[in-house]
This record gives sequence, C-alpha cells and structure tokens, in this order.
Amino acid sequence: MDAADLRCPYQESRLKTTASLVDLVRGNLANGTLHKRNLVWLELNGCSGNIISLLNGQNPDFQYLITQMTNFIYSNSLIAAEGNYAMDQLFNVIGSDYILAAEGAVSLKDNGIYNIIGKNNGKPVTGLEAVKALGEGAAHVIAVGACAAHGGVSAARPNPTECFGIQNVLQKKAIKLPGCPCHPDWFMGTLAYLLLYGEPPLDNRDRPLMFYGTTIHDRCPRRSYFDRGIFAEKLGEETCMFKIGCRGPVTPTDCPIRQWNGHVNWPIGDDSPCIGCAQFGFPDAMEPFISYNTTRGG
Amino acid sequence: MPERITINPVTRISGFMEIQADVENHYVINAKTKGMMFRGFEKMLIGRNPFDAVYFTQRICGICSTAHSMASTLALESAMNFVPTEQGRYLRDIIHGCEFLQNHLRHFYQYTIPDFVKLPENYPLFKTDHKDYRLPKELNDKMVKDYFESLDISRSAHQMLAILGGKAPHNHGVFIGGITSQATVDKIIAIKSILDSIEVFINQKMIPDVYEIAKYYSEYYHIGGGYGNLLSYGCFNNYKDLGTLYVNPLVYTNNTISIFNPDEITQESQYAYYNDENEPDIQKPQAYSWIKAPRYNNIPYEVGPLARQWLSGNYRNGISVMDRTIARVLEAGKIVSIMKILLQNLIPGISVQQKYTVPEKAGGRGLIDTTRGALGHWINIDSGKIAFYQIITPSAWNLSTQTGSIKGTAEQAIIGSPVRSINTPVEIGRIIRSFDPCVSCATHVYTGGKLVNTIQVV
Repeated sequence: MDAADLRCPYQESRLKTTASLVDLVRGNLANGTLHKRNLVWLELNGCSGNIISLLNGQNPDFQYLITQMTNFIYSNSLIAAEGNYAMDQLFNVIGSDYILAAEGAVSLKDNGIYNIIGKNNGKPVTGLEAVKALGEGAAHVIAVGACAAHGGVSAARPNPTECFGIQNVLQKKAIKLPGCPCHPDWFMGTLAYLLLYGEPPLDNRDRPLMFYGTTIHDRCPRRSYFDRGIFAEKLGEETCMFKIGCRGPVTPTDCPIRQWNGHVNWPIGDDSPCIGCAQFGFPDAMEPFISYNTTRGG
Repeated sequence: MPERITINPVTRISGFMEIQADVENHYVINAKTKGMMFRGFEKMLIGRNPFDAVYFTQRICGICSTAHSMASTLALESAMNFVPTEQGRYLRDIIHGCEFLQNHLRHFYQYTIPDFVKLPENYPLFKTDHKDYRLPKELNDKMVKDYFESLDISRSAHQMLAILGGKAPHNHGVFIGGITSQATVDKIIAIKSILDSIEVFINQKMIPDVYEIAKYYSEYYHIGGGYGNLLSYGCFNNYKDLGTLYVNPLVYTNNTISIFNPDEITQESQYAYYNDENEPDIQKPQAYSWIKAPRYNNIPYEVGPLARQWLSGNYRNGISVMDRTIARVLEAGKIVSIMKILLQNLIPGISVQQKYTVPEKAGGRGLIDTTRGALGHWINIDSGKIAFYQIITPSAWNLSTQTGSIKGTAEQAIIGSPVRSINTPVEIGRIIRSFDPCVSCATHVYTGGKLVNTIQVV
C-alpha cells in the first residue's frame, strides 16, 4: 500500500488549512473578487517576538503578505519611516477599512505610561491609548501572541506594570491567537479566513477552532508512551515528558502536526516538555516548566 | 539658539525609543537616548523555579531570545558549579550562532537598508519623507531585490536554530549541560546544507551590498564614532581542544587592549526612572529613560559586533556608523566559519542531559557576548527558588543614560553629528541603528543593591 494512503485525512486537512486558505485569497485577489485590505501591526508591551515569528512564515511569506495580500500600513519594527511621519501613517488609517493585529499586552498602570509607542503632535501616545483608538475603529482585531491574548509573560506575577490582554480595554471582540510566540501559520490562516469569509469559527474564548481545537496531548506522537506509562525522567529522552512538566494535556494547539520554522521541529520533538505557551494563564499557571521531582511542584 | 529635534518612535529597532537632539548650526550639540518601555522582568523572576529562568528570560526579547537562554544557562551552571561537556558547549554554541545569523541578516536588510535604499513606495510600509537616497537606480533596484531575498535567508537561519532548538523565537534547546536533544547525523547534515546557502548569500550579496552602501555614503566613516571604548565578555572562546574561535573577554580604551575584569562593572540610575529603592519612578525629576547606566571602571563602553571584530583583530578600520555596519556584516561571515568548525567537531548521538538538582542556596553569573554585545545575567538562589535576578543587556551598555555629565555611549556618538535638514534628520536614525538597539531588552528593574559587584557571586 502506498504510504500516503495511511495518512489521516483529518490531520492532513488540518495541516493544510493555512495554505489552502491563502491559495484561495491569492486566486480571488487575482480575479478581482477580493480587494486588498489595510493591515496595521501594533506592538505593545512585549518582546516584539510575534513580528519576528511572522517573518518566519512560509507560504505565504512576509513578502506576499505586504505586497499581494494586504496594504501593510504599520509595524514599529519594519516601517521605513520614523518619528512624526510614521505616527501620521499609523493614525491616518482611522476612518478607513482596516484590520488591526496587536502584539504585546496593554499596560494599565498609571494610565499606561510604562509603554509609550510614539509621539503624536508632540504628545506621548501610550500603548493603551493606541490600542483603544485603533481597536474600536478596526473592522477586525486580532490579538497575536500570549501577551496580547491574555497578558502572557508581560503580566507574570507580580505584574509590575499591570498588563492585560487587549480585550480588557476593547468593546470590540478580539480574535485571540495565544502562543509565545504565535505561529506564523496561525496568524496568516486567520487573516486569510477574515479576508475571504469574515470571522472564523471560534471557541468560547475566541480562539479559531481550526488551529486551537485539539490538545497537543491528543495528537502527540509520544502518546503511546503515555498510554503505556513510559515516562522520561530527564530532558533528552525520547519518551513521554508528562512527568517532567509537559503541559501538552492542557494546551490546545496543532503543534504536533504543524511543527515550527518550516515544520522542522517542535519543543517535544526537541526532547523537552511543552510549557503551555499557547494556553491562557501562561506562564504562571504553567510553571514549573521543568521539574525532575514530581508531575507538579518542586 | 539650538533647535530641538525629537524622533519618537525610532522605528526599525526592537522596542520603543525616543531620541532628543539639540542642533546648532547644523550640528548636534546635545543628545538624549530614551527607552520608552518598562516591563520589570527581574521582579517577575523572584520566587520562581531557577530552571525556569532559561525559558522565561527568553521572553525579554523576540529578536534575540537565544541570547538570554545562553546567559541564564551559564548563570545557572555557575550557581550549580556545573561544567558542561565540550560536546554540550559546541551544540549550544551552534544554536547561538544561528541566532547571530538571523539577527545580523534582519538587522542589515530589514532595519538598516531602508535608511540608505529607496524601497518601493507603492507599499505603505516603505513610504518615507526624506530624499537622501544616493544609489544609482540599477544598484538601488538590486538592493530592493536583496531586501526581499534576505527574508528567505534569515528565515532559514531560524530554521537551522529550530532543528537543534525545537522552535524559534524562544527556543527549547539551550539548557544546562548544552542542549536538550541530541545531534543526529540527519540534523547535522540539514544544518550544514542550510548553512551553505546562507554563506553563499552573505558572500555574494550581503558583503558586496554593505560595501556599495559605504561607497555612496562615505561620510558615515566619520560620523557617529563616540567614545571609542570597546568591551566584550567573549564568545565562541576558550574551548578545551579548539581554543578561541572568535573573541576573548577584553576591553579597549585609550588605544590599549586589556583583560576584562567582571568586578569592574557597575550600574547606576541617576538619570533613569528609578528611585533610591530601585522602584520604578516616572516622576523622578531629572530622569529621562527606563535604561540605566552600566559602566566599566566608571566609564561608558560600546559593545557589539564592531567591539568584537576590533578586539579579536578581525577588523580595525575605524569606529563609526559605517564601520559598525560593516563589522556586523563581516561578523555574519565569521560566524558561519565558526559554526562550520563546531559542526565538524560534533559527535552524533551523544546525550548531554542529566537529572539536575536545584541548589538550596547559591549565586552565579553568566556573562557572554551575544548578537548585540555583552550580556550578563546574575542569579541568587535561596530555599531552592530565585531570590534575586539581574540582567544587564548589550543595549543597556550602548543606550545607557548619562552619569554625572558623562553621556551614554550612543548619546556621545550622536553629539557632533551633522544634521542637514532639521525636519528630516536622517543622520540621527542612521547613527542609532548602527548600534542595533534592542529596547525590549534594555529596560529593566533590579532590586537589592545599587552596584552590580555588591552582590557576592562566584
């Protein structure tokens, strides 16, 4: 029997979600049934690692995103302009049709003064002000990565700058793509779906079901070790990481089949536990990340 | 009367930054570099499991996360009195090398090139308001092409990283002992093959591109020099069998190179938003930035690729915007050659992991040169938990605030620069980007003691 016949069609279709959606966008843009829409990428209180992860995207890649798929208006990390001219470009988008992608948490302490994203007409603009102004005017809002989705590491105890996910300051629904960072396919697939059909089917915490529907544990290639009770006692063992702290059982993402960086590897493939970076509550609720003593604690 | 220029945001960096410069008769007479974001990682780390520092501190920075996994791992090994095997060191240094390549490629093409090359204006991301683009059309077009082609190459650098490190950004591979997984023959050959194509790109595109830019913007060999004090903690050095493949811990000032002594590092916060108790204080009258002021022997130092290239004797043309940019590009080539040696010396199929025990009470430090320069993590463990954590990043060295009347490194580099047009002061952005600022990394708080060397570390 041909090896391909043994593949699970469910897994296959899941893996190709992003690519097939983007192909459809490509076709519809070419035949004129779809127009390029404006996309704003707003960085807030975080590490700016989600824009770096986005640059790691393949099929579509970043070049396709900014030249073919959208009018990419703004990214602090990548925009050629600086200072007033860049800020004008950011805020002039308000009033037009645009999609807002935000990464990083929103810091509320002292009215957001701990995160100044620029100056507008000589006045400092906080991340809080920017996400409110741009969020309410957007056709859709996407919270990219753990910090934007739920506060993430920026909100880790004792949460020194009172960080929260962007939903806390928005009336409009933010589609949440938790992950530290967000996988580029999760963002590209969600964006392609928005362009084609509007809001994708979401779970009760506003995560797209197409990427966040099944736990890592349910599709883990090391699941048979778990079922047979064969557990790794240290990093580097090619068995189940559950007893050294794996959070795969509580983390619903498609990492086991999608993998990372051109699908070459992923944390469990690297003989280390999943640390639950794509689940709400990361990092505090997912610690300790690595424990040699018990399944939890120590 | 001097005129004041404010650039905020300074874009094409990681994080948020403002530059304020006073200009008189077309020259900068005073400058302030301001970090505009605060997160407080060192506070967050207190009470956590020490082993978690490796994955946790990577979240400081999205573009150089591996750097923090390296420094935190070294700090933990130092606290545990644990010496990794040479194979373990080779493996994690290969991961670190991948991060260098990703950073340098993206810094040169995505962050630096738009300062000198006119990118196609029909894309909103590339619109600018200044006219100082000097490349002939054909050459400009070629560099635009290279800008886009580089995206595939930098992506493949992160792909190499993930082969050994699980994923990038925020890898899972670097850990106490070396890396979590083993190097197998298929992984080694996959990395070698990607590395080959990166090398071809660096030699055929990146290095010629930087020298073409240098030709058309040659006055930048004389702009943005600053103090000319250079410092490195060393990296890819001191292997048992291979010796030093790159640079040892050294400092350079007053035309003299000397051995680096970690006890000479201090950090002050006279002009940073922290009060006497080291708590964030946005109301502090003279303060203007979230970035403190690391000093060595009480003077400011420049860290990064130019410092390393100079101290290792690989490049000593000068200290300026253009030299910094060229040194970074040449360093990418150097890193490829180092990675090749490390790959050649790997023995496949060796596990470097053990079951580690958290010490009840211990202190340690991890100092290493990384993409942007000298990075230090200091840890104290008490009752098996993190009791104290301190991070001094490369960008804290380069973007430090002033102490007394002594300006920070980048501030000093900006002072004296010509500014042709007060409304489009393109020179200032070019100077600051030559340092590859990472403000995400640079703004921190630490608790318990004003000076670094007041804590007892091994």
